[in-house]
Amino acid sequence: MLKQRPFLIETLTALGLIAAPFVLPYLGFSPTTINRILIWALVGIGFDILFGYTGLLSFGQSAFFGTGGMFAAYLLTQTGFTNTVAALFLGAIVSGVIGYLVGLIALRRTGIYFAMITVAIAEVFFFVEFNPLSAFTGGENGLPGVPTPNLHLGFTTLEFDTNLSMYAFIAFWYFVGLVAALRIVRSPVGLLLRAIRDNPLRAQALGHNIHSYKLTAFVIAAVYAGFAGGLLGMMQGFMPPDAFMFATSGEIVMQTAIGGAGTLFGPLLGAATWLYLSDFFQTTLHLGATWKLILGIVFVLLICFLRRGLAGAIIDLYRLVTKKKQSEEGPATAPQSSVVVKLPTPKPATGTVHVRHQPAGGGPILQARGLTRRYGGVIANSDIDFTVDYGEMRGIIGPNGAGKSTFFKMLTCEVPPSSGKIAFEGRDITGMNVIDVCQLGLTKSYQINQLFERLTVRQNLEIAALGKVRGKFRLDLFRSLARVPGLDEQVSHTLALVNLTHRTDTSVSELAYGEKRRLEIGLALATSPSLLLLDEPLAGMSPQERVETVALLKSIAQGRTMIIIDHDMDALFELAEKVTVLQEGRVLVEGTPDQIKNNAKVQEAYLGGVHGEVA
Amino acid sequence: MVNWANFISQCFNGLVLGALLALISSGLTIIYGTLGVLNLAHGAMFMLGGYAGWLAYTYSDSFIIAVIVGSVFVMLVGVVMERLIIRHFYSRPHEDQLLVTFGLGIVFVEGVRFFFGSLSKMTPPPAMFQGITNLGFMFYPTYRLAALGIVAIALLALYIVLYRTRIGMIVRAGIEDAVMVDSLGIDVYKIFMLVFGIGAMAAGFAGIVNAPVVSIAPDMGEAILVQTFVVVVIGGVGSFPGAILGGLIAGEIISITSMFNPGYSYVMLFVAMTLVLVLRPYGLLGSAGRE
Amino acid sequence: MAKFKSGNKSGLSRRHVLQLGAGVASAAFIPGLGTIGWAYADDKPPIGTWPAGSEGDTVYLGAAVPLTGTYAAQGADELKGWELAVDHINEGHELMKKFAPKIDKGLLGKKVKLLSADSAAKPNTALRVAQTFINDNKIIMMTGSTSSAVAVAMNKFAEREKILYLAGISGSNDTTGKDCVRYGFRQNFFGQTAAAAIGPVLVKNFGKNRKAAFMTPDYTYGHTVTKSVNDYLKEHAGWEMVTNQVSPLGTQDFSQYLTNIANSGAEFIVNVNWGRDAVLSTQQAKQFGLLPQMKLVIPYQIPFLAKEVGADITEGVFAATDFWWTLEDKYPLSKMFVEAFQEKYGYRPEWGAENSYVSFAHWARMVSEAGSFYPPDVIKQFEKGETIPSLIGDVHYRPEDHQCVRPVVIVRGKAQKDMKNDEDFWEVLEVVPGEGLMQAPDAFGCKLGDYT
Repeated sequence: MLKQRPFLIETLTALGLIAAPFVLPYLGFSPTTINRILIWALVGIGFDILFGYTGLLSFGQSAFFGTGGMFAAYLLTQTGFTNTVAALFLGAIVSGVIGYLVGLIALRRTGIYFAMITVAIAEVFFFVEFNPLSAFTGGENGLPGVPTPNLHLGFTTLEFDTNLSMYAFIAFWYFVGLVAALRIVRSPVGLLLRAIRDNPLRAQALGHNIHSYKLTAFVIAAVYAGFAGGLLGMMQGFMPPDAFMFATSGEIVMQTAIGGAGTLFGPLLGAATWLYLSDFFQTTLHLGATWKLILGIVFVLLICFLRRGLAGAIIDLYRLVTKKKQSEEGPATAPQSSVVVKLPTPKPATGTVHVRHQPAGGGPILQARGLTRRYGGVIANSDIDFTVDYGEMRGIIGPNGAGKSTFFKMLTCEVPPSSGKIAFEGRDITGMNVIDVCQLGLTKSYQINQLFERLTVRQNLEIAALGKVRGKFRLDLFRSLARVPGLDEQVSHTLALVNLTHRTDTSVSELAYGEKRRLEIGLALATSPSLLLLDEPLAGMSPQERVETVALLKSIAQGRTMIIIDHDMDALFELAEKVTVLQEGRVLVEGTPDQIKNNAKVQEAYLGGVHGEVA
Repeated sequence: MVNWANFISQCFNGLVLGALLALISSGLTIIYGTLGVLNLAHGAMFMLGGYAGWLAYTYSDSFIIAVIVGSVFVMLVGVVMERLIIRHFYSRPHEDQLLVTFGLGIVFVEGVRFFFGSLSKMTPPPAMFQGITNLGFMFYPTYRLAALGIVAIALLALYIVLYRTRIGMIVRAGIEDAVMVDSLGIDVYKIFMLVFGIGAMAAGFAGIVNAPVVSIAPDMGEAILVQTFVVVVIGGVGSFPGAILGGLIAGEIISITSMFNPGYSYVMLFVAMTLVLVLRPYGLLGSAGRE
Repeated sequence: MAKFKSGNKSGLSRRHVLQLGAGVASAAFIPGLGTIGWAYADDKPPIGTWPAGSEGDTVYLGAAVPLTGTYAAQGADELKGWELAVDHINEGHELMKKFAPKIDKGLLGKKVKLLSADSAAKPNTALRVAQTFINDNKIIMMTGSTSSAVAVAMNKFAEREKILYLAGISGSNDTTGKDCVRYGFRQNFFGQTAAAAIGPVLVKNFGKNRKAAFMTPDYTYGHTVTKSVNDYLKEHAGWEMVTNQVSPLGTQDFSQYLTNIANSGAEFIVNVNWGRDAVLSTQQAKQFGLLPQMKLVIPYQIPFLAKEVGADITEGVFAATDFWWTLEDKYPLSKMFVEAFQEKYGYRPEWGAENSYVSFAHWARMVSEAGSFYPPDVIKQFEKGETIPSLIGDVHYRPEDHQCVRPVVIVRGKAQKDMKNDEDFWEVLEVVPGEGLMQAPDAFGCKLGDYT
């Protein structure tokens, strides 16, 4: 909504920051409270990138907040170091390095496991600060005497030692931090972080090294926390040991949740609410020790009823207002359901960006030898030999439980084979991971939609296309998505292919099932695979949708090699040049559709007891 | 300070501490395993158990009644909490579940402070377990020995419920595959409510049993919660045997390290957790599955 | 950005420039203060919240006190002491007049108001609360701490903000030692004086060459107190430290440490733990049968300890403290205080409340004697070192480190059967005069800062 005016958010924030010290005191915020809010909000920006954008809930931010702050404070109080700004940056860097090391361990797991590990990390940092390192950190006394910030400009020195100048100093860094964060979330990395939040496995299958991106987010969060820790020490002239306490992490999490995660401004709102209420309850309402009880209840209620925090509520309100306007102006978008899908006209595939080099002549693109997969005592696939040639359109059929999906998973390296070898374009890919295999040009569309539900159609395809145009990992944190070469062409081309151009900016959650199905195939297509595996592309479709999708598949088949699993034998026989039949984890028979149709074994497998009749 | 008598004594201390951690952690782990909710208010359940037991004790002067009232009360708290709040969070992201239980934890702690103040309260051990027992290698408080036995019995009871009853089978099946249980035509919500109650009760029970050892105070659950996390990570999330093994390992690590340098006992606990994560990412007895 | 002041090497001192800057900034920050004219004489430039904080008809004092968290019980008790003192100042109570004869239903013609908020015993929160009070209410004096970590942080903060700070409970030698400041004062006893007071009593009662096990919380306060006590007993009576069990802050289960002590052959346990740690370690020492086999010594008594662990544990325990209510029999001021306190709050005060009350009373005296709220005047009044009353006899503040030279009370736990009421936990053995307990003023590295 605000995308059209690129620097609008930045400008508004700058104006807000300039106005804040003159306006907020009227609302009951004291100057130091405002400074503190900004410091929390700065930690919160980093945390929001980690939590709101990447979906990693960490209770370990206190470790980095403390580490960065302590390191800066140590430099400034215990050594001869006097450059405060440099100390801030050194603190942030140290915090980032520690974050990297901690992340290596913590990110081995995700979800709740990750959260629990970070809790333990926070506790350990507290103990380490308190005891083994107390010679450096002052133990329970912290490090008093941190100087106020100053800036040597050669001809003069700026001192930031009053409330207002301190505010200017902190607000400046908050602004820098916010602008950097906005750049990050609008960069390819930012989009991939959201992809990881919504569907990490699919992000991985689309050729992105999600572990590295998660580590990136973790380090970014640590750097922000470390920098803010340094500011805290300078603001109050004292680096407290309780920065390391678990409660600090808890407050960061709560503030972000109150404000609204995934907005970057949520932490600012949350910190303001939190600090304001705790002051208000205590100094205005004189609640004494009860303040925390009340604040806890308020927090629980907010979580229960405001799902996306205050910022989310504000955005919803804004949307409500603008939507009303739109509906008054008449329907702004085409009606969403019952769009009659025009059959996409087959496009010539030559010369477009989305097709990888296609060696002339035939020869196998994929060769599997003796593929076997056991799950415990159960054998899912047994000794499968399988070869697909360049340009071929292969069908795979088999009754339920024949091991088709497991077979696909082995081909895309989602599951390692228990034994056997797979060669793709002449290269042995056995034991590679799904990321590298996708990067090589082998990918699959899923039987059950694996989309990024909270993102738009365009963003979904961008995620897929980025794997192709950027490789599996790149730290282009500050590059705008619009400036990624080749991305736009790839996305619009795929949109046209799967006939979703009119739905480009629709959120996936609003798509009809058939549209989702096409997008699912589009995701795989956007990676420009030289070999595309389609796992039951027709599953769950109405007869009409099937006809359309078969046409779609035919159109994209030109110039590609594809393997399709489906139960719809008529469709498959229409599409495929050659069909492999799997039964009980083995290849039963292989041949042209006609051969298969007339094969006795196949009839037996499918018709079971009645084979006598057919024979 | 390192001699055999001391080493054996510390191993024994570790066993007692470990058993307690095992009981609390098993409550956390079965709730998580079945419902997929990590209850950050689990430490508060431990604390509530202690207070409910203490309150019952002051009115009844009977330790048995204290234990029963305390456990049942915490179970009810768990059931009500599941019914009123947690239930509405199953369809929401894990993060929201963490946040709401985190907030509830604060509310419980501060609520208890509001009603009972900050001074710690002591529940005396039952008369038959007062005094000290000579174990040969050391003198040990009789009640702690009894507590070890009580906790062991509680764990056994939990084992029987989980492995020998129909509900237990459903719960364990749910840990392995929640979708499957759903399709069995069982009212999962009822089961969830029950499991949440049982899990909370495990912590609450531990809170009462521990009250004569460590006097109760509103924030007593915080430290224990972090330790149970480590236990669960070591043992494997969702694994009942894992919680027991993890608890015992954690107890021994804390005790034995403190023989050399107490300051490092928690650091060592963390080191152990890291090792487990590196070598067996799903915990010692955990299986890949839920994250 | 024009408001940033540039450092300058000529003429004006930097400090002066900064103060001007602070004035400008606060005028900009707090609308409504624009009318304040700086009608000060040249020798008294504005400093801290002066004169802004004392220009109305009420002056504000700010207390950051733990109401939640580990030290909440002690914090709530402290807060009552301050509240009572402020009430007494405003009503011109006769007890307060004993301390500050010149008060007259208020201080220098102004009412005194106490503001308080929860610090959760965390230095960072304490500072936040104090900063808020400074900004919003221009408090002219700060207090609050139940641990030396907060006291030391507040000391440094007071020095920076140029606002007086009176320490609440703080036992570390550092508070008026290496972390002392010109703007901070401490009324209560501390590690060094506790050790010097309880040491002779122990030697007198138990003789020389005994074996003691120490239980020390693993932070600076614990280590300094342990060292003070051990040094004294070793040098003066040849006691041996057979083991020193150092436990992390917030330990719940002390069995490991107690097991070590059980195996150490100690005859005494010197328990330096504080707050809940002290309660739990003491209770568990009893469970392990170490008590009463070994004698327990608590060199720095914790308010409410006896109430929490019960008389059967504190019986026979030796402890050093700042105050115990039964001293009312001997000291009339104590009697007035205990009565006033009990009437208002329904229980007899512990030493946290006593320290709160007395330190405020001392401050009120200094302000009223100096006839000014100007911080350097008040500080200099303290530094005159005049003999002034406390609840348990005459005391004075040392100008060199701002520590109150005051008696230390040695108590011994009573048996349940000897208790005359349910708060009669301790029997006062001795009130050791402060003069002989103090270290040389510079022994702990105190260097006070500037007045302005």
